[in-house]
Amino acid sequence: MDIEAMKDAWAAQEEQDGARLSWNIIPGSRLDASRLVVPLGVLYTPLKEKADPNYIVQYEPVTCKQPCRAVLNPYCQVDTRAKLWICPFCLSRNQFPPHYKDISNTSLPRELMPQFSTIEYALARPAPAPPIFLFVVDTCQEEDSLKALKDSIIVSLSLLPPTALVGLITYGTMAQVHELGYTECPKSYVFRGTKDYTAKTVQEMLGIINPGLRPQQPMPPGQRPPPQMGAGARFLLPVAACEFQLTNVLEQLQKDPWSVANDKRPLRCTGVALSVAVGLLESSFANTGARIMLFAGGPGTEGPGMVVGPELREPIRSHHDIERDNIKYYKKSMKFYDGLAKRTAHNGHIIDIFAGCLDQVGLLEMKSLSNYTGGHMILTDSFTSSMFKQSFIKVFDKDINDNLQMGFNASLEVLTTKELKITGLIGHAISLNKKSSSVGETECGIGNTCSWKLCGITPTATVATYFEVAGQVGPPAHQQVAQKALVQFLTYYQHSSGQYHLRVTTIARNVSATTGDPTIGLSFDQETAAVLMARIAVFKAEVDDGPDVLRWVDRMLIRLCSRFADYRKDDPTSFRLEKNFTLYPQFMFHLRRSQFLQVFNNSPDETAFYRHVLNREDCSNSLVMIQPTLDSYTFDQPSQPVLLDSTSIQPTHILLLDTFFHILIFHGETVAEWRKAGYQDQEGYENFKELLQQPKDDARELIQDRFPLPRFIVCDAGGSQARFLLSKLNPSTTHTTGAYGGATQNAQTIFTDDVSLQTFMEHLMKLAVTGTN
Amino acid sequence: QQGPASPGYGDMSGIANQMGNMSIGAQPAYGQPAAATHGAGGPPSSFLQTIDLMQPFNVAELDAPPPTINLPPNSSVTPSPNANCPPTYMRSTINAIPHSHNILKKSKLPFALVIQPYTSLHDAESPVPIVTDTVISRCRRCRSYINPYVSFLDHGHRWRCNLCNLTNDVPQAFDWDHVNQKQADRWQRAELNHAVVEFVAPQEYMVRPPQPLVYLFLLDVSYAAVTSGLLATAARTILESLDRIPNEDKRTRLGFVCVDSALHYFSINAETNEPSMLVVSDLEEPFMPVPTDLLVSLSACRQGIETLLSKLQDMYSTSTNSASCMGSALKAGHKLISSIGGKMIVLTATLPNIGAGKLEMREDKKLLGTSKESSLLQTGNSFYKSFAVECSKSQVSVDMFLFSSSYQDVASLSNLPRYTGGQTYFYPGWSAARTEDAIKFAKEFSDHLSAEIALEAVMRVRATTGLRMSTFYGNFFNRSSDLCAFPAFPRDQGYVVEVAIDETLTKNFVCFQTAVLHTTCNGERRIRVMTLSLPTTGSLSEIYASADPIAITTFYSHRAVEKALSSSLESAREALYSKLQELLVCYKKELHSTHSGMSAGLSFCSNLKTLPVLFLALSKHVGLRKSAQIPSDLRSAALCLLSTLPASLLTQYIHPKMYSLHDMPDECGLPNPETGEIVLPQPMNLCSERLQRYGLYLIDDTQNQFLWVGRDAMPELIGDVFGLPSVEHVKVGKTTLQVVDNEFNEKVRNVIDKSRSHKGRMVGSITVPNLYVVREDGEPSLRLWAQTLLVEDRSDGGPGMGLWLTGLREKVNSS
Ligand SMILES: [Zn+2]
Ligand SMILES: [Zn+2]
Repeated sequence: MDIEAMKDAWAAQEEQDGARLSWNIIPGSRLDASRLVVPLGVLYTPLKEKADPNYIVQYEPVTCKQPCRAVLNPYCQVDTRAKLWICPFCLSRNQFPPHYKDISNTSLPRELMPQFSTIEYALARPAPAPPIFLFVVDTCQEEDSLKALKDSIIVSLSLLPPTALVGLITYGTMAQVHELGYTECPKSYVFRGTKDYTAKTVQEMLGIINPGLRPQQPMPPGQRPPPQMGAGARFLLPVAACEFQLTNVLEQLQKDPWSVANDKRPLRCTGVALSVAVGLLESSFANTGARIMLFAGGPGTEGPGMVVGPELREPIRSHHDIERDNIKYYKKSMKFYDGLAKRTAHNGHIIDIFAGCLDQVGLLEMKSLSNYTGGHMILTDSFTSSMFKQSFIKVFDKDINDNLQMGFNASLEVLTTKELKITGLIGHAISLNKKSSSVGETECGIGNTCSWKLCGITPTATVATYFEVAGQVGPPAHQQVAQKALVQFLTYYQHSSGQYHLRVTTIARNVSATTGDPTIGLSFDQETAAVLMARIAVFKAEVDDGPDVLRWVDRMLIRLCSRFADYRKDDPTSFRLEKNFTLYPQFMFHLRRSQFLQVFNNSPDETAFYRHVLNREDCSNSLVMIQPTLDSYTFDQPSQPVLLDSTSIQPTHILLLDTFFHILIFHGETVAEWRKAGYQDQEGYENFKELLQQPKDDARELIQDRFPLPRFIVCDAGGSQARFLLSKLNPSTTHTTGAYGGATQNAQTIFTDDVSLQTFMEHLMKLAVTGTN
Repeated sequence: QQGPASPGYGDMSGIANQMGNMSIGAQPAYGQPAAATHGAGGPPSSFLQTIDLMQPFNVAELDAPPPTINLPPNSSVTPSPNANCPPTYMRSTINAIPHSHNILKKSKLPFALVIQPYTSLHDAESPVPIVTDTVISRCRRCRSYINPYVSFLDHGHRWRCNLCNLTNDVPQAFDWDHVNQKQADRWQRAELNHAVVEFVAPQEYMVRPPQPLVYLFLLDVSYAAVTSGLLATAARTILESLDRIPNEDKRTRLGFVCVDSALHYFSINAETNEPSMLVVSDLEEPFMPVPTDLLVSLSACRQGIETLLSKLQDMYSTSTNSASCMGSALKAGHKLISSIGGKMIVLTATLPNIGAGKLEMREDKKLLGTSKESSLLQTGNSFYKSFAVECSKSQVSVDMFLFSSSYQDVASLSNLPRYTGGQTYFYPGWSAARTEDAIKFAKEFSDHLSAEIALEAVMRVRATTGLRMSTFYGNFFNRSSDLCAFPAFPRDQGYVVEVAIDETLTKNFVCFQTAVLHTTCNGERRIRVMTLSLPTTGSLSEIYASADPIAITTFYSHRAVEKALSSSLESAREALYSKLQELLVCYKKELHSTHSGMSAGLSFCSNLKTLPVLFLALSKHVGLRKSAQIPSDLRSAALCLLSTLPASLLTQYIHPKMYSLHDMPDECGLPNPETGEIVLPQPMNLCSERLQRYGLYLIDDTQNQFLWVGRDAMPELIGDVFGLPSVEHVKVGKTTLQVVDNEFNEKVRNVIDKSRSHKGRMVGSITVPNLYVVREDGEPSLRLWAQTLLVEDRSDGGPGMGLWLTGLREKVNSS
């Protein structure tokens, strides 16, 4: 078998399906499978945009009988004469529906064509209501940032489809639900900031259910029947109908009126506001697409979900506090938001968190709100920042048909053929607890189910799914045709156009027929593997101690290397890796040093944010996060990628670093001096001007497509901002590398005790070849 | 030694006059015309005149002034005719005080003061002299205020207290006019010439700066309130009364909370002047939805208030909510205004059925008329008592305007007004669809809002050593043994204080001084002081001759209400009967047995001639009479009035006035040529025998007026009065008498209007009586209701006058 040809086929298939596998040949035996070290996994992007618009079909899928419900796909055996198809998942024979009677080998429906292994059915079922956008606005803010936020929200109204329903909740010391449908005067329902309201209470208090008529209260004779009291008519109205009213309310919105002492934080009942928002939607719009968009200007300081007390002298928790288990509100708050997040997810709703605050707002505690519901998490310093404004507007990006690029109320189901079992999913989802024959025995991530609620999905949202090999299922050795293992992804969601859609991706990979098949190693996709492992590491880090996770990452790397490298036992110098493994140790090296696992240089909120983004981005973006890219610019040369290493810092070079979250331009010492001297503005130095400009242009291009908007930093060698760059570079030259009293330290010396990549690799090779693994 | 006597009270401009000539200028006396000349009008009190109660009784005698107070000559330090307190402000059940408790006990007469510190809703209608220089001289020991009955010693440098005999220094300012820097004449000082004065209090009398006037409206917006038109009428009335609400100092603040199953606050920003509604449905522990703008300046937020009031009806026009969390609303309102104090005005048509102070439907027809009935007249939820105390502490007063068409538990709700100096106004079956109802409520409510109430008030009654105030009756909270607290002091209520004689009285006269320390609604701290002097005596006959039947009835009205609530209606009635019997027996044994025997008759002193009929009327009053038909809400409302009405209205509420109209003399119904006042016919005895079948009568108990049309009324009469062809065409029920172009119609309307107007009667009152047309042959329930007012008739509710007296005579003779 030509492995290169197969690699090309896999790449094409990946592009077609939005699915990348860590191993593209499935081991035929459990033993082989157990020796893979890196689990068999698929990074799947359910809404990946496809160039060919024909993948969307306007008819209903043909499905296998209950309980299988697999959808007809190119890998099914079809008997065009008998009008039968055999389901590859359960091996049932199914009759084609009557309208497929003209089917023939030359006239196949799209879903049977190989190029439509991914197909999307626009179903006849319309959504019960247009998409809903409920803004939850923190009013404990300075006037300028509140003003900026109000402006952004008002702008966003024009980006929504006119039928979209909108609502407004504001909060500070108390939470207020604005009744936009009330026209006599501005009207809102006020909830105290200290109380944990149940959904039922919220609904009663808003008069959505049982308006004021408690049991045993007889209706006075002759009383009119109650009018329509639903949330829809009063609190959530079409943009077109309430834009004026909503804009008015937003414009009138004042800073929280309760006074705040100098030594206090403002009272901010973020938890109550969210709980009310969730309760409001739960009443009338369960299982209808909706986003709750939280705009938090600071931490919750009151009531359920508070993350810090109102006393300013009480600092907001750090990673050290958490490690020492020295935090007052953490566990209660986590529990509160976790419960709320589960409710929200089960209702099919999304919660986005937009933080506009220099300090933390409690993202750590609130993270499950976005993580469970596929919401966005945007961490910015202020609502006045362009980082917020542009990221927020980007949420409302539209496709060529002018539909918002967001899917609502999504769920994902995975079917496997008998060779594979699904062990779990890592991504923004919660389990739907659905058992099927595809569910494996072990658990990786959110497991023990074949179905997950994703709620919010976007074209880039990517889930990591993990599989195990079911056992001795390989075909008998004499079989000629390679057996294929199949995985079918069924993504059911409310399209922003108002219809329900079902996207079906069926992937097939050969099952190895032989034990110890060397081609399995060749089918390894180190990039996908790195991302799949990064997600597992982060998943573990959420529950385990940091050092344990690092040891696990190391152990797995050593085991993978000792399994797949070429070496002589106990001879590190003989250690060689195949081409498709060579980058993997580097990825792991940088992953270990990344903010995902080394949390102490960041606030808990930042950690929550970084991990959130890692868990949603596709393979290539995730790789940038794990191992940032570095480009170097100098005179008379095109820019070129350089090693993420301190040796790449050169006085006459400009570096462009992309960590996904930060885009940084670094001027080497000499470049910085010249720039300060103003050469770029002098005649005859056009090339220098151009040199300065080029990385800026490239950075702009990177920023343009990035969501959330990255932080953009321009710095000089020796400047304080340069630490962002230095912290990412491999410390091949550190303050400890020079001989004692030797080389003087210069700009590129990195003050770190971290081991360098070289040292790391030496250790790795030594350990990999000892054979103790 | 005494200064020149001034002819009368100083007028208001004189008081404000920089020259300080406070008592110059004639002005009509401020007392009731007949009573102001206290000491001339009544019969000589020392002369005991016995009459036979079995002889016909003339109802006109109910209007007789109280017996004259015969003070020893030169009792007062100035010869002012106003030195002693007019009975409108303070009157005693006996105007000669026994020297000892034993004599009083022997007399069986009660010893109590009937106090009415305000005699109109507005100062301008009944001004009292004001001492503006903040020089307030008080006794160092008993803290009484200097008054016309002190005596000066030591060349006028010192004064002896007429209550405790302590000698005090006279303030130097008494003889020096600081404003004009010249010698002043102390004998001109109002407090030495007038029994009723008001002092402007200096800083020491303030615990805090004078509070502004605060009205917080708690408006029911439930289904019943909206459909009955209450909300619309209330909102419109407030809107139209905004200029009448006292706001001279521009500090008056208003707040509005609408109430159904939730609390609807309204915030009005002074800049935008736009109201916005904030709904709080969480009733657990009511909280303020915003820290400011809920209680707003009437002046600064006038526009916003007007916008809100004009929109209110539309805001709730589709309400179907039948719940009311009024108890929670009260708690929330308290929270909102307690830092300032003020009035919460509740307007509701619904039983508070959720939240704090939740009440049950307790009315049980089976209990009515039984000994268990009084349980329905007691509070159904202790919240209304404990919360009232809380309100009183934080200077919050509550008024209840109740409109339910079904059971509303007036008994429970009225507790809040009772202990906070408020009032309960009950409008059973009210509907704005009936013009009369709408007008009545609107007028009353508007007058209520216009009243110049006092705030943060305390009332204390002091008396000459040996006398002690033992029990206080009225709507207030009795904070300590002799101190009554009024978060707001109303202008339309009376109070009763029972007095005990602890020591033998050796002086030939004793004094009582009532002081009401208060903040005017314009932010001035003041003390209204009333001083009454009464002679002492050892003679039982003098005591009897000085007894005041109106004051006695007022006292026993309060006692009966107390008894009805604490024990039963029956025991309240029995107590009245046995008290009367006791007095008659005492009179016979102690005072009359020495005179000629009159075994066929029933002897009593002539000044107490009206007492039996008043007691009979009281025991047959809707609040007390035996009946299984009176809804407990009606009873409770009546009990509220019986324990708060000022004496002159109370007397008529107990014993209504009846006028014959068809045959009234020519001058009646027309203005008196001298006074310009409409002349009323002579009142008639309340017995149906007097009603002619062809006659037209007006019966008026101050709350309701009945225009009684005899079954054989002539078509001419009907034509003149109603503009209708004959009696069959007359529609019975609540009505307004239409104008028909003839003199008789005008006269009848004049009589009705004059009778229903409580102005000029020296009482503050907002009441606009309902007018019902009753036909003798018409709707029975209405007719029966009117007939219950004919107290001399025999009825289910009790014996007729004749039987009542014969019964008493038998008891007295056999004792
Ligand atoms: Zn199947
Ligand atoms: Zn004294």
